[in-house]
Amino acid sequence: MAEDDLVERLLGIEAGSPLAALRLQREAIRRHAQGAWRELVLTEAPGGVSPQERAAVALAVARQQGDVALVAECEALAAQAGAPAEGARTEALLRYAAMVAEAPGRCGQVDIDTLTAAGMSPQDIVAVTQLVAFIPFQVRLLAGLRAMQEEARA
Amino acid sequence: MTRFTIEEVCWEPRIPPVEAESATPEQHAALEACPPAQRRSTYFLTLARDPASLGERGALFNSVMYVPRGLPRAERELATAVVSIVNGCVYCASVHARRFAELTKDAEVMQRLLEAGLGTELSPRRRAIVDFAARLTREPGAVGAADLKPLREAGLDDLELLDLIHSIAMFANANRLMQSLGRSVMP
Repeated sequence: MAEDDLVERLLGIEAGSPLAALRLQREAIRRHAQGAWRELVLTEAPGGVSPQERAAVALAVARQQGDVALVAECEALAAQAGAPAEGARTEALLRYAAMVAEAPGRCGQVDIDTLTAAGMSPQDIVAVTQLVAFIPFQVRLLAGLRAMQEEARA
Repeated sequence: MTRFTIEEVCWEPRIPPVEAESATPEQHAALEACPPAQRRSTYFLTLARDPASLGERGALFNSVMYVPRGLPRAERELATAVVSIVNGCVYCASVHARRFAELTKDAEVMQRLLEAGLGTELSPRRRAIVDFAARLTREPGAVGAADLKPLREAGLDDLELLDLIHSIAMFANANRLMQSLGRSVMP
């Protein structure tokens, strides 16, 4: 079975449709966008950032970015993974995710140091940042493709 | 207000980058899979702290910026410079401003975008690309078919439009990595 393509599933892009065919002209981009989602959110080797933390961060950023379809997807993932442990680490993680999503220019050394103080290694910090920063990519890809779908229907 | 420049800007990481001598086999392998020009950059050595997230995202970035045909590379650089200006990423804006200037031999228009702002006078095609890049960056939820009309009138076909969307989306990602894991340092 072909691997799920999150973008096409969320947008209802049918195999064989003109937009699906267009995306196949950029097959590597389609494949690596799905691959990055898999590596960051669905990974089977989560390392120092647990699946619960990954799902909670993805959901928080999807909500901040305001894409309804992606929020629903992340809600399902978060429900499946379960909530991360309550405490200073999760609080620090979600505060950092909100800042990077909403106002990355306000980020400072103190925000990184707060994650370190909450027990996160440099590797964990990069993993979380990659995850947080990937959701805004998806939101704009989804929004741009939706506009193309709307244009094609007109 | 942030001051943008076409001159080279440095980037200082907020966590220690990987060092060649002490890198793990996984970190080495992840860096080896990157294009040679990237392997020694402080930014990639910082991202290599988490080798598992370097591969797919790195391949995605390189495809978006360098895949042949479709939207001319200079226009991808224009869009990514505009997204970086909107997001306030001085480092990314300078890198992609220079690439645009190298490809077009038209540093003057980029200087105006950086210094006078996105409202500066542009050709209709560049105007359409700049406006769409700013709009999709600022208000993705509000973008619709009407936003594509100026691009179509400027002659963009489906593949060029898809490439433009990919470039804009990629820098919603790249700017956030650069701005959180490190900071731009002016020359």
